[in-house]
Parts: sequence; C-alpha cells; structure tokens
Amino acid sequence: MSESTVRRSFAAGDTAGVSPLLELRDLDTDIALRRGTVHALDGVSLEVLPGETLGVVGESGSGKTMTALSIMGLLPPGGRVSGGQILFEGRDLRSMPADEVRRIRGVRMGMVFQDPLTSLNPTMRIGVQVAEPLRVHEKVGRAEARERAIDILRRVGMPRPEQIVDNYPHELSGGMRQRVAIAMALVCSPRLLIADEPTTALDVTTQRQILELIDDLREEFGMAVILVTHDLGVIAGRADRVAVMYAGRVVETAATGTLFRSPRHRYTEALMEALPESAIRETGEHAQLYSIPGLPPDLSRPLTGCRFAPRCRHVTDECRTTELTLSAGEHQHACLHPVPTAPAAPATRPAPARIEPALPPAVPTTGPAEPAITPVLSVRALVKNYAAHGRGLLRRTAGEVSAVAGVSFDVGPGETFGLVGESGCGKSTVGRLAVGLERPTAGQIMLDGTDIAGLAGRERRRMHRQVQLMFQDSYAAMNPRMRVDAILAEPLEIQKVGDGAARRARIATLLDQVGLSRRVLERYPHEFSGGQLQRIGLARSLALQPRLIVGDEPVSALDVSIQAQVLNLMRDLQRELGLAYVFISHDLSVVDYMADRIGVMYLGKLVEVGPARDVVRAARHPYTQALIDAVPSITPNAATARGGITIQGELPSALNPPTGCRFRTRCPLAQEICETEPPLAGDTHQVACHFPLRPESGKAPTRVGAAA
Amino acid sequence: MSTLSPTVRPGAAPDQPADEAEAPVRGLWRQGLAVFCENRLALVGLGLFVLLAGICFLGPLFYHTDQVHTDLTAVHLAPGQQGHPLGTDGVGYDQLGRLMLGGQTSIIVGLAAGILATAVGTLWGAVAGFVGGWVDAAMMRVVDAMMSIPSLFLFMLLAAIVTPSVPMLILIIGAFAWLGPARLVRGEALTLRSREYVQAMRAMGGTGGRAVRRHIVPNAIGTVTVNATFQVADAILYVAYLSFLGLGVPPPAANWGGMLSDGLADTYSGHWWLLYPPGIAIILIVLAFNFIGDGLRDAFEVRLRRR
Amino acid sequence: MVRYLITRLGQALVVVVIVTVIAFLILHLLPGGAARATLGKEATLEQLAAFNHEMGYDRPWIQQYGMYVQRLLHGDLGYSYQLNQTVVEAISQRLPKTMVLSLLSTLLAIVLAIPLGVIQAVRRNRWPDYAITSLSLLAYATPIFFMGLMMIILFSQVWPILPPEAPQGFTVAEVLADPAGLVLPTVTLAIVTIAVYSRYVRSAMVDNLNENYVRTARSKGLSERRVVLRHTLRNGLFPIIALLGMYLPALFSGALVVESLFNFPGMGQLFWQAALKRDFPILLGVTVIISIATVLGALVADLLYAAVDPRVRLRRSTT
Repeated sequence: MSESTVRRSFAAGDTAGVSPLLELRDLDTDIALRRGTVHALDGVSLEVLPGETLGVVGESGSGKTMTALSIMGLLPPGGRVSGGQILFEGRDLRSMPADEVRRIRGVRMGMVFQDPLTSLNPTMRIGVQVAEPLRVHEKVGRAEARERAIDILRRVGMPRPEQIVDNYPHELSGGMRQRVAIAMALVCSPRLLIADEPTTALDVTTQRQILELIDDLREEFGMAVILVTHDLGVIAGRADRVAVMYAGRVVETAATGTLFRSPRHRYTEALMEALPESAIRETGEHAQLYSIPGLPPDLSRPLTGCRFAPRCRHVTDECRTTELTLSAGEHQHACLHPVPTAPAAPATRPAPARIEPALPPAVPTTGPAEPAITPVLSVRALVKNYAAHGRGLLRRTAGEVSAVAGVSFDVGPGETFGLVGESGCGKSTVGRLAVGLERPTAGQIMLDGTDIAGLAGRERRRMHRQVQLMFQDSYAAMNPRMRVDAILAEPLEIQKVGDGAARRARIATLLDQVGLSRRVLERYPHEFSGGQLQRIGLARSLALQPRLIVGDEPVSALDVSIQAQVLNLMRDLQRELGLAYVFISHDLSVVDYMADRIGVMYLGKLVEVGPARDVVRAARHPYTQALIDAVPSITPNAATARGGITIQGELPSALNPPTGCRFRTRCPLAQEICETEPPLAGDTHQVACHFPLRPESGKAPTRVGAAA
Repeated sequence: MSTLSPTVRPGAAPDQPADEAEAPVRGLWRQGLAVFCENRLALVGLGLFVLLAGICFLGPLFYHTDQVHTDLTAVHLAPGQQGHPLGTDGVGYDQLGRLMLGGQTSIIVGLAAGILATAVGTLWGAVAGFVGGWVDAAMMRVVDAMMSIPSLFLFMLLAAIVTPSVPMLILIIGAFAWLGPARLVRGEALTLRSREYVQAMRAMGGTGGRAVRRHIVPNAIGTVTVNATFQVADAILYVAYLSFLGLGVPPPAANWGGMLSDGLADTYSGHWWLLYPPGIAIILIVLAFNFIGDGLRDAFEVRLRRR
Repeated sequence: MVRYLITRLGQALVVVVIVTVIAFLILHLLPGGAARATLGKEATLEQLAAFNHEMGYDRPWIQQYGMYVQRLLHGDLGYSYQLNQTVVEAISQRLPKTMVLSLLSTLLAIVLAIPLGVIQAVRRNRWPDYAITSLSLLAYATPIFFMGLMMIILFSQVWPILPPEAPQGFTVAEVLADPAGLVLPTVTLAIVTIAVYSRYVRSAMVDNLNENYVRTARSKGLSERRVVLRHTLRNGLFPIIALLGMYLPALFSGALVVESLFNFPGMGQLFWQAALKRDFPILLGVTVIISIATVLGALVADLLYAAVDPRVRLRRSTT
C-alpha cells in the first residue's frame, strides 16, 4: 500500500491497522522563567499517520510551537519535557540514549522554521549547510555530498542549483531561502517534516508557492508533515487532519473537512466566527465580528477545569471544575457543551463567504462619494523617491529607489479606503506621506481640499490635527518611559489644546471610547498586551479629533480573537465619530472586511482601485486576481485553492523597476504593448492594465485601450 | 496584567475580571531602585565605596598624622610599632595616614574627572548624533584620532607639559576620558532619533526640540549614568598609573599609585606594608564602582522589559 | 571589496592627519615654547630667540604646520638633545622590541581567551562562568603595575624561578635569546588582555547561541560540540578580529607600564624616561609613531575582518 493511498483513506475515516508514525501521549512541557515556571504544554496527545499532513493550529500562547519544539528536542533554555511520551515509529524518544535520539531527529525528522533569514547560518555556503547532515550522519564524502545537495535543491525548485550551492544566504530572497531551509530538512529523506509557521514571514504570493512545494514534496518523499500555524485558511487548504490547541492543550481534533464544516469545541467555533471572512456579507453592511472577550490564561499559575471557560459564551459552573480530556473517535473534542451536530445550520454559523468569481457582483451600496462632497483625503500623482546611498567615504548617491510612482485616489468622509499590496509595494510610504511624516518628491496631497505640501509652520502643525497615524507595533511607537496619561496627553500638549482640566477630561473620554479603564493611566507601555496597546494607540490617534486616521497594518501583529476586538472597535468608532480610514494592510481578507473601497498597489503603482466588493469578487487586474487566489480561505473550496493565477518569479528591485507596466515581468498575460505604461482607466472601478480580466461591472464590455 | 472594569461599552471587549491581586503601581524610579537593591553585588559596591570614602575623608579627623614633615627617626617601621597601625615608609610618614590622604586625591580626581568626561563627552556626542551629516563625520573623526593615541601616552605627554596639581590632573584625565561617552552618546542619539515613538510624535506635529527634551534625553540618561560610573572607575586607575609613573601630584601630596612606586624599591626588603595596602585599596575601589555600574545598568534596563 | 579598502584607507589617512595636527598643537602649548623645553631652563633669551628663528617657530602657524608635515614625510621627527640622537634613531632602536613584547602577549592572550570565552558562554550563569568572570573583573580592576609587582614577588622572590628584570638586549635577537626574562613581562601584559578578550568572546558566543541558525543546526541532529565549534564560534570570532584592532591603544598603554616596571628597553620605557626628563622631541615623535601604529593595526584588523567574513565581503544593497 503506497503512502498516497493511505493518505487518501484518512478522510474516509479508515485508519484501522495503520500505526501512527508519531504519537504524543500526555506530553507535558515546562519552561522555567525568572518569574516562575510556565506549563507550556499540559497533557498533549496527538498522532500523525504516515504520509498525512496534520495541521496544528492555535493562537499565540496556545502551545503549538512548543509542541513542535518538544518533538524535536529544541526547547529554549529553561525548557524541558516533564512528562509523557514521544513515540516515533513506535519507540519512545524520551527513553533512548541521547546520541541515538540525535541521529533520529537529524535523519528521520526534519524541521523548517518561521524566519528563513535568521534560520540559515549566514557565514556558511548554501551547499555546505545543506549537505552537512549527509556528511555527519551518513558519512558521505564531500564530492558526493555536493552532488546530492545540488539534487535536493533542484527538487525544491531552486533555479540554477549548481550556482546557488556556492552562494551565501543573504544573497537570496526570502522565498528562495525558505526553499533552502526545506532542502536542508529533507536532504536525508526523513519520514516526518515539521513546519513551524513556514510561510508567515513571506509574501502572500510566495506563501502559496512554498505551501504547494511542501505538498508536492510530501507526496514525492512519502512523508508525513506537521504544519503548525495560526492561519486557519492555510490549514483548510493543506491539511488532512487538524488539531486545535488552546492554552497548552489540544481541544479538538478532526479531519479538515469535518472541522470546518461542523466544529464542536466552542473555542474552534468562536475562532472561526472571529475571522473577517466569516462576517463578510454580499449585500449591505458586513456583520459585526464575533470577538472573543478576555485573554488567554496565564500558564504559570495552576489552572482547573476547562481553560477556555472564562471566555466562553456557553460556560456553566461544571466547566470550571471538571478536568476534561479529548473524547474518543475520529472527531475528538474536549468540551462539555459542544456545538450540536444538527444538520440544520445553527444561528451562530457564518454565511458562506466566497462566491465563484464569474458571477456578476452586486451593485455596491457604499459607493464612492458624490462629486459634490470634498473628499477628506485626495492624493494626485503622488511620487516619492529615495536616494540609495553608496558605501563610499562620501556616501555618494548610487541611484534612486522609486517607492511611490504616481498614485492617485480619494477618500470620502466617513469611508474606509483599503490600501493593499505585498511588502515593498509602497503602501506604507503612501501612508507616511498622507500623514505628513515625509515630503513627496512630486504630486499633491490634499486634506479637505488644501494641499499640505504648501503648508509650513503653524499651519502645518494644525494640519496634523486632521490626520493621524496608527501603527502596527504600538509598543514601538510609545516612549517606554512615559506613562499612559502622558502618552495620551502628548498630542494635546503639542497642539496646545485646552488646559490641564480640559485635557484630563478629554483623556477620560478617549479611554471610554476605546474601552479601557482609568487604571491604565498610571501604567507604562510594557505592562500591556498587544491588543491593549493597539487600543491605547487608537486612543492617542483620536485625541485631536481627526477626520482621517491612517492605520499602517494596525491589526497584523494581533491574534485573530484580539484582531476581531480591535476591528469591531474601529468600525464602531467610525460610525460614531464619522471617521475616515486609510487601512493599509497586506492581509486581503481583513481589508475586504473593513474597506468600502480598495486600492491595490504593486511596486509603487496603483494597479486597481474600486469598490471593495467589486475589486475582490470581480478583480480586473491580473495581480489582484493572483493576490486573491493566494489568500488561504477557510471554506475548503478546492477548486479556487488550486486553480487561478499563480505568479512566478521574484519581485523586481525598486532601484530599477521595469518600464511601462511594472508587473509585466511576472504577468502571465504580458505582451509587447505592456512595455508602455497603462493608464488607470475606468469609472468607479479603475484598473491600470492593457488586458484587464473583465470589464467594469454594469458597463457594456468595451475593449480598454488608450482611451479612458 | 492590567485589569479593566466590567462597565465598558459594548463592542469593546473587557479583559480578565480582577480576581488576581493587583500589583501596586510604582514609578519607574522606584522600580529601578528596587532592582538595584536586589542586586547584592551592587549593594556591596555601594557599601565598599562608602566605607573607603569614609575612611579617607573622615579618618583624618579622628586619626591625626603628620604628612608634611618627614621623620627620619621613624623610618620603615613595621605595622604596630610606635603606634603606627600600618607602619611607616622610607621618610617616616605614617602609612595609614598616607593611605587616607592618597585616597582623598584618588577619589576626588577620579570623581571629578569622570564627571567632567561624561559631561563633555555627552555634549559632544549629542550634537554630533543629532545634527548628523558632515558635522557628525568631522566631530567623530576627531574622536577617532584622539582614541588612536594610547591613553597613557597622551596623559604623560600632557602631564609633562603642565605643572602637576590636582586640578591639572583632573583636566588631563578628562581630556582623554571624554572620548568614550562621546561615542556612546552619539550612538544613542542616532538610534533614538529614528525610534518610532519619535516619529509618532512628529506625526502629531511635534518639533525636533521636543523630541530631544521629552524623548531622547530621558531615554539616554540611563546609558549615560551607567557609563559615568565606569568612567570614574577608569579615572581612578589612570590617576594611579600617572602617579606610579611619577607624573602625578608631587610630594608631600599622596596618591595610592605614587605610594606603590615609592614602595617599589622595597620589594626586596620585605616591607610588605608599603606595597599591599595601596594596591588592594585601588582594586577595591575600582571594583566598587564597577559593581555599582552593573547594578545601575540592570536597574535602568528592567523597566523596559515587556510584561 | 576594493571600494571598502579605499574607504578605510581614506578614513585612516584622515585620522593620521588629525593626529599630526594634535601633536603639532601640543607642541605649541608648551609653556615657553619648544625652545625653552629643548634648551632647558638656563637658556638665555637670545639663545631662545635664535633657536626659535632657526626652527622656524616665529613663523605663522599654518606655515609651521606645513614645515612640520614636510619634515614628517621626510622621516624627520626632530632631534633629542638629551639623548644626543635623532628621534627616529632612538625610536627605531626600541620599536621592534616593543612590537615583540606586544605580539607575544597578544598571541598568548588569544590562545587562552578563546577557550575561556567558549567555556563561559557554554556554561553561562553556572559556576565556571561566574568564576572566570570574577577573575576577569579582578584582573581588570588591578593596576598592571601592581599585578606585575605581585608576579615579581611570587616568581622572583618566593619561588625564585624567573628573573625580575626583562632582557636588556639591544636587538630583537638578543632579547629573544633570553626567554626566561621575557616570561614575566609578557604574562603580566597578557593577563588584562585575556580578561578583556575572553569577555569579547563570551559576549559574541552568547549572542550567537541565541540565534535561530543555531537552533537549525541542532535540528539537523548535530552534536553540541559541532554546533558550538563549527557554527557558533566561527561566526562569533569574525567580528572579534575587528575588536582586536580597537584594543591596540590599550595594549600599548599597558606595554608602557610593563616596560617601565620590568625595565624593558622598548619604546614605552623610552617614552617614560623622556616624560620624566621633559624631552619633548622624543615625546612627540613617539606619540605620532605609536598613533600611526595603532591606526595601521586597526586598519589591518578591519580589512582582515572584511576579507574573511562573508557577510561583509559580499554586501550589496539587497532588499
């Protein structure tokens, strides 16, 4: 029985007679920190069958990474496995001599980590690093090891492996480095590959390439994969079975399809409802995200009962006192009040979020502003170039980085404009220009009709009242030695708003608006969690009553449940205060949820802009479509996951961008005419492409040529 | 760990209920002080310094000796003889009294030179780091050049030029010691200038002056203070070296280093009391300042630790 | 790489120029001028004036600096009336011996500091680490002359196995012919150096041990020994090469004290004697030479580091 057929039969529940490749029984892991011992894992039991992909999903602190590290024996200093068994191919790794365990972990298992940049030795050549396990464990000679290294690099899809073998890690891009890391893990043909957030640090399009690679290699090598991630969408598309972890325990295990169709544990259910995907509606306003209240428990204290109880909607007293274990069977869960498996969808089920792209999209209800209303922010032909410095004594300019190359859009009062793109596209630069942190090289930025470039001195300072910035990492954006009351008072001080008493009153109002108590005022930033910090950051942005808040990846660093809290807050405040947002993010599903209109950027250019639903459901630019196709979704819709547009190649350098359409070097539809620049054409849904994928909705299909 | 009141608006989620005992909120200074006091070595250092300074400055009030007139009848007396607890040296000076006097010079010069060096260096480095550009490059080249001259060589060169005295000694040592803080502060100024909270402040309309006053200086103070203690320790060593090499304050003024060079001749005569006390005294006080510096460094750091 | 070489050379040149300016300024700070210092206190005013005119000290400063630089470029550092030889002669007799002492100490220090640093890092926060750290701190806080004194007492008096005075030979060969005499000065100078270097190594190792690539190396099933030596130590040693260059000024200062204490006829002792006797041509000449030596040493260290570390060698503007 080959491995692949074994794998297929999992979904059908036929696992009789197959012994698991890896089995964790009641695994306990402790980490000794200065402030006490954290019980990172408590009685974790899992199994992985040969040739299958097990997804381990959870938020930060859930223990998913600790599980992976425990299996590989790579716990951080102070960490140790304090109980349970790790059975690999039937043998307990904990009771074997250290040398043998080391060999097994080196040869029969492989691990790939999150950050490929720092996971590779920067001073060793690629070939040497990749071949090292061969030389150490299999005593292979140098020449043969080099050959095998080239071979494995070729199999992971590296271009020109004979040359790459002699390069150093920093000469490669992120995606290529991750391929090297994968090659290194697979060079001894292991039976188990553990991937800990292998794509989190990569762009969405690269992400898709790497996940496909892992899938293909799994079949080719006949090995099992443990995929650890926080991204439910990734799991939905790639895993055969899923284990959901919370607070150091496994709370639910099931086949992927089953899990997403009918989750049983209340945490899993809540997690899915907190995803922006689940709240998107095709018509009218999107639903409120379900935000799980509270925070995960502190694992350095003893805990009793169900660990999710303090945050659960369906909690009863019994939940807090009963020690729970996973139920038996194919679909295991540890919940006293699981979701009923009624065939009819209960009220908490989300509506299906994705529609086949071919359907005509609905008429957008939140359209662009009427021509008569002055937009809050109006950007015209915005250009920003940076000088790239050479390394000479005088640091002569070695060229220019074209960060923003002619971007134009409007943001109406009270609307949310989503700016989406991958890293290096210039979206953050646009944000900083809009707030006045940088001066544009050319173009206009108009706030309420006034060009801010022409302002100086006092007027410029007043301009800052109108538009404020919200950061991705609010902790870095706050002076660690200032208390929260000083932090919140600072904008008022700078702008000389009110006197002491008035400022205190305003701060009190701000705290109420973001849902924080007065007690935070006396504390310092390092005492808060990520979500609380984002709230404080938001409160600070609101202090001057701006008309527009530019959020630069405001929720990207947050867990899904906390993200939901902050997004809901932002939407409520928008309704209440008539705020406009520029929501900058690389996460298309979040932008899809939050934005009324979306602009897609690539390498400094705006390639598509239009109403949110139109851009996402009926994308006109090939890059937009590729982005959409690359976003992992939790509705296991295999067709859209495997098909669609996959872009190849690497991002060109911004020092020397392609002429004409900057996307043409990677576009599957590119032709000679693309060397001339396509203008942004269209009415409400504009696109900059010579061959848009479809015509504008509601219009007669016209060939978009040079005419607008 | 912060707790929130349950009466928050809907849509904004409340945090954990306040069932854990809420830690009392303390200011950053008091937190830092607490950390410092937890560090036993730091306390030992502080204690040592207080002890030594006390002996050197208060001792002569209780224990009078003549450190100006030589007494050739009481030369090279061993400790305990004729009421000299630490014996006498080659010209009849009481060793213990000499130790105290020498300590005064060492400590005064060390402290003054260290503080002077820190002040000058901080100013230099702050200007260079904040202004940037060619001003920064020029100022730092000067620092590089002076750092290329080995410290002792520079000291001795300067000491050979001027008439030695305590103020001169302070200036000479300060003339080199300022280089370290200058480099350090310049580095701090550069990093702090690009910190995100400074940018956030600019997005609110804040000026550069405010950035320096409210953000850069408070955050750099920790580094500067810690460095100052190490500068004092180094200065005390430099004084000892200069005095040992005969370029410190001339007799009858005393200095621990000078006492050691005087005692050199006595290496073979077995007059151990002329060698060990000054040497050990130098070691103790340098160690004391190093411990204090390490303790301060921890005290300033820990507040920045997240959660 | 070539660009980096040129950049560093340029910087070094600028630094040397500034050093000459400083030396020149100090020359003019002398009370009574260089004339007084050279001719002594008994010189009459006419003699001073004649001297000043002959040496060109009554010309404008810029011109004097130009003359000074010209003389420097021709290898003329002045004349010492007290030693009755040119400064260059005096220095060239002594410089090689100081270099021998410095080199031996540095080699000894490196050989011992690397294993000490590795032990400290691998066993950090346990007793070997604490012990070595405490000893290092003690070594740092002890003035070199006191340490030397202790060494003399211990090894020349208590156990008379080594001579308390350094070899007095004229040439390097003669010096090296008396190895027993070299031991104490070399070891004394090396002790503080070991303390500092082992701290560098420890710090570099600890930084690297926390890096992700070490975790990857362990995930490949490599033995701890291989992880520490082939991955961590290798990466940690690269930047230390550059640090060695930065430590040179302190090394030379230490050499000065050691030479004075052990009566070693090197440049340090020359300088010390000159300081006591106020022999300014020697003082300035040695200052300039030793500064140049420091700058050159740092330059070589930096270039070596850049040549060896792949991260620096192949740096381009990557995204």
